[in-house]
Order: sequence, then structure tokens, then C-alpha cells
Amino acid sequence: MTTLSAFTEDDLAAASAAAGEPNWLTDRRLAAAKRALDLAWPDSRKDEFWRSTPFQQRIDVDRELVRSGAGDPPRSFTDGLGLTLPTARIVDGVLTEVTVPEELAQRGVVVTDLSAAATDHRGLVEAHLGSLTTNDPEGTGGDADRTITANDAAWTAGVFIHVPAEVELDAPIVVRIHASESGAHLPRVLAVLGHHARASLYLEHTSTSDVDALVDQVVEVIAADAAKLDVASFQLWGNKVDHLALQKVQAHRDSEIRHVSVTIGGRTVRLLPETDLVGPGAQTRPLGVYFADEGQWFDLQPYVRHIAPNASSDVLFKGALQGNSRTVFRGNIFVHRDAVGTDTDENNKYLILTEGARADATPFLEIECADITAGHGSATGQIDALQLYYLTSRGIPRDQALRLIVTGFFREVFSDVELPGVQDAALERIEALVEAADLSSFQVNDASLQDLRDE
Amino acid sequence: MADLEIRDLHVEADDTPILRGVDLDLDKGRTIALMGPNGSGKSTLAYAIAGHPAYEVTGGTITWKGTELNELTPDERAQLGVFLAMQYPVEVPGVSLTNFLRTAVNAVRDEDVPVREFMQSLRSEMAELGVDDSFLQRSVNEGFSGGEKKRFEILQAALLRPELAVLDETDSGLDVDALRIVAEGVNRLSGPDLGVLIITHYTRILRYITADEVHVMFEGRIVASGGAELADELEEGGYERIRAEHGVSV
Repeated sequence: MTTLSAFTEDDLAAASAAAGEPNWLTDRRLAAAKRALDLAWPDSRKDEFWRSTPFQQRIDVDRELVRSGAGDPPRSFTDGLGLTLPTARIVDGVLTEVTVPEELAQRGVVVTDLSAAATDHRGLVEAHLGSLTTNDPEGTGGDADRTITANDAAWTAGVFIHVPAEVELDAPIVVRIHASESGAHLPRVLAVLGHHARASLYLEHTSTSDVDALVDQVVEVIAADAAKLDVASFQLWGNKVDHLALQKVQAHRDSEIRHVSVTIGGRTVRLLPETDLVGPGAQTRPLGVYFADEGQWFDLQPYVRHIAPNASSDVLFKGALQGNSRTVFRGNIFVHRDAVGTDTDENNKYLILTEGARADATPFLEIECADITAGHGSATGQIDALQLYYLTSRGIPRDQALRLIVTGFFREVFSDVELPGVQDAALERIEALVEAADLSSFQVNDASLQDLRDE
Repeated sequence: MADLEIRDLHVEADDTPILRGVDLDLDKGRTIALMGPNGSGKSTLAYAIAGHPAYEVTGGTITWKGTELNELTPDERAQLGVFLAMQYPVEVPGVSLTNFLRTAVNAVRDEDVPVREFMQSLRSEMAELGVDDSFLQRSVNEGFSGGEKKRFEILQAALLRPELAVLDETDSGLDVDALRIVAEGVNRLSGPDLGVLIITHYTRILRYITADEVHVMFEGRIVASGGAELADELEEGGYERIRAEHGVSV
């Protein structure tokens, strides 16, 4: 039996051979295994970036690696888009299905098994796989804690995506990751966009409702000069799934990156949407919505590294909490000493809907360069009594008014997001959660009522 | 019995008494102007009628079409045909004007008005009030200018078709053109099925909307009542005479 905490080099070599991987990849896995086994698991009392999730209490690493491919994923929110989308499915640790419409294949678009791509697309895969997870003195990389290094070594199912230079895709590429078997799931995604390519990548994470699983995920994306990339990541897990995710983009000159995360399901979700702005003029916009309920712990850590000059970043995360839930927003901005002309802003706003929920927001700025524009803000709140009054004074019943206000609160995040299906899928799910909530327990803040008493 | 009957109304905000015994009658088909200096309690009366949570009725009654309003929630009052055009309309981010209006219209009429029919009446009312189509996608009151907010209040009244419209300082902050458009909007709504209570500090809106009665409020009580000539008198002499007659300055 191979577990996440105690895999051996023999296990990994055997699995790599069974997947038909070339020697260079097997060697890399073994080197990563060596590093992983030398590292301790994160300690939330000591490791700065793990303070926000109590690793020991919430994450069980003594789990067998799942490689069965047995489950059957539910309908995708992209099914309704009426398109044949390039799609890859990872089910219970196995890449079970890949679809690439012929028209896209002819334009050179690749969506394929990462193990096979290590041979068939060796140049790109060898150059980029793991390039964002190993330490780099230039400040890019650096996410090499054991949860990530373990994936480097032991990922069980991988997808490789290539959108060649100057190919512009209108429809999204969908990677669906589903868990129905208890244990440790280690999916991996590597995507490479050539210069002036345009694509969007949807990551849809689902599970059966009762599966007890740990999903330890790494997504690496290279966006070459002037590429335009949108990533939309939906965390729709059942409530016994813990998800540790590094979703990292390397953004070259004048590229435009947007990462939209929708975190709703899961027992623990620790999501790191990261962008390394390595080329001048690159832009990134990490956006997120989250809605946490009883027992859930969401740790959202957008991380932007400004390595090159004149790049910009604009982070916006909005969340709502109810029941005994906990969310942490930790917006990390690093500005390298050479990154003059950096323009960065980050904001986090959240609504505490009921008593017992707790949210923390920590902007974390590490700025080595003086010649920049930086802003950050955080706002916590409850439903505004004045807004509630205004809507009800027009005849809208209180419960319906509360639903309008809460979904309206999230809508701002999507104001300039035009990704097919994404806004609707996110808001419909949030609406359903509010619909199911005990609206009479929602806290309403009446501070704004005072403003009116100016007579 | 009048359609709206206010008797000996006492209202407090933040434990401070503001209304100290107000009596007022208003029948559908009639228009009343309630005037008074700042701080006299005019807006408090408007909020008390519309059930604002910051105002507590500590005595007296507000009866509308035979129903005591005091215990009703704001939405229940609206469903009985009560509408308050607010002095400071509230921004509700992320709730589109279209979604808001349709939800409100359906709630007040207690039916699911077909989208096509709703959009038709919405567009025609918007055209009457000179509101641009681009507003349909905007969030409720968000980023609206003062004048746009006031027009939007009247647009809501036009769609909700209330039987009692309370206009709280609807004229304030409007330039002459905007004032005329808003006043024309109110006049279009007027008729035998609508009672209008105009709350205003200045008389300018009364040049466009004819009031059947004018009442003057001072320190939480109505201290003078008359016809349109009372407004003219106030226009000439301001509130000085009222102040002199009723004591302490404000």
C-alpha cells in the first residue's frame, strides 16, 4: 500500500513505469520524493504560510493514494453551454477521458495525458513541469513545502494542455476532477500558452457527498508574452474533502491573467492562486468568491510576485460565512527591488451572516522597491439594515430581500468577468445556499440607520 | 373616516422624541403638502408611515384604509399600497435595477407579471421620465447622481402604482428641468386612486404640483393649516412668522 505520508521510491518507480513515463520523468519523481521525505509536514505554529490552516488538526496525510478511476462525475455546469468543449476528466486518481474537438486539434491545441506528453511533447513538458514548484533564487517558485513536493513526486493523474502561439480560443478548456473513493488524490495540471495565445481553463472539482478524501493538487501554467489566460476554479466538494491547491501562473511580458475561484464545498480548502509576474507589463487579477458554512475552513491565499517592472495586480475576494465556519484571506504581495512601476491593489470583503462564524483578513506585503503604487483594503460586515429596509419598503418580503442583498454582494466580483457559464454557475450555487439557510438567524447591522437621523 | 388617518402620533428616534402629537387626514384623490423648517419632524412622519426601523412609534395611530399600520412590516405596508419616495435613496450594490423592480412589482401585485409585459411597462415609464436604457443593467442607486436617484424613486412609484405616495423632499437637489420632469411624473400618477403627501421645505415643487391643502409642521406638531395660499405666504415671509408665533427658534 502506498500512502501520501510514506510512499517509497520503489512504489513511485513502479507506478511511473506502469504509466509508460520516460526515464527523465521517473528520475524527477524520485528526486522530488527524496526531497519530500526529507521535509517535515507543515507545522501551523511555525510555518508562516500555514498559520492560517491548522494542518495537524485538519489534514490527515496517512491516506492511501487513490488510483482506481472508478467513480462517475456529476453533471458539469459547462454541460449547459451547448458546446463540445475540450475536456479532460480525472476521476479517482486516473485520467479517464480526454476530448479535443477536431477543429481545435487541427489548430494545434493539445489536451492530453501528462505522462504520455512527457514523451510526445517532451520539450515543453521537461522545460516547464515543476518549474513553478521548485525554489528559484530569482524569487519565482518557492512553494516547495511537503504538500507540494509530495505532488511533484507522486501525482497519479496529470493533464497537459498546450495552446500554441497566436491561437485564440473562445470556448473554455475544462478539466474536471472528481473524487468518489476515500484516500489521497494527487491530480496535476500543466498548461502552456504560447505568445499571443488566448484561452480559458476551467477547473471543476467535485466529489460524492460521503467520500472522505484529501486532494493535494498542483496546477502550473506558463503564459508566454502577451498571452491572455483566464482560470476559473470551482471548489464544489462534499463536506468531508480537504483540498490543498497550488494553482500557479507564470506571466510573461504583457500577458493578461485572471484567476476566478469559487469556493463553496469542502471541509478544508486551502487555495493558493498565485501569479509570478516575470515579464514587464504583465497583469494579473486574482478574484474569488467563497461561502462557508458549518464546519468548513477556507484558507484563501492569493499570492502575487512582482518580479518585473510595470506589471499590475488587482486582487478582489468576497466571502460570506454562516454557522460555525472559519475563513482566512491572506493576500500576499511581493514586489522585487527591480519591479519599478508596479501597480498593485488588493481587497477582501466579507459578510458574517450568523453568529459563530469567524473570518480573518491579513494583507501581507513585502515590498523591496519604493517606486510603486500599492493599496489594500479589507471590510467586514453584516447585512446592511438600510439596504434591507429600502428593498422591503418596496414590498419585497424580508427573506427575498436578504437573498437579493447577499447575491448582489458577490456580483461585484464578476462585474467584468465574461467567462461563459462562470458567473451564473457561481451565483446560482450561492443563491441556493442562501435559499437553504435559516434566514431568521441572519444578523443585520443597523449602524447605517443612524446616518438618516439628520432631522 | 379618511383613507389615511393619523391621530396623536408620537415618534422617537434614538430615544429622542421628535413627533409630539400629530393629527392628519388624507383621502385618495387628494394632494397634501406638509411644510416646515429643517428639524421640524416632517421626514420622521414620512418614515413612520413607511415603517422605517429607526423610528419608534411611542403613541397614537396611523390608520390606512382602516388598517392600523404600526405593527406591519415595511413590505406589508407596501403591499397595502403605501409608497415612500425617499429623500436619500439607498444604494444596493450588485442588485440590478431590472431585477429589483421586477421582484418588487411581483411582490406588490402578488402575481408573476410576464417578463415581456413588465419590460414593456418599464421601458415606457423610463422614456416618460427621461431615464436612459443603460440604467437597466446598473445596480440600484449605485453611482446615480442626486437627480437620477429622485427620478428612479418616481419610476418605482409609476411601476408599483401605490394608493398613497409620500414624497420626502423629492424636489431637493433637483435643477429646474429635473424638477419639472419629476413633478410631471407625479402628476401622471395622480388621480382618484392616489393620495399624495408632499413633504418639502421649499415651495418650488408646488408650482408644478397643485396641493389641495398645506400644513406646516413645527417642533413635531402641525401648527398651521390652510389652502395653497399658505404656501404662498411661506414663500413670501419664510418660516419667521411661524417661529414667532410658536416660540423657540430652531
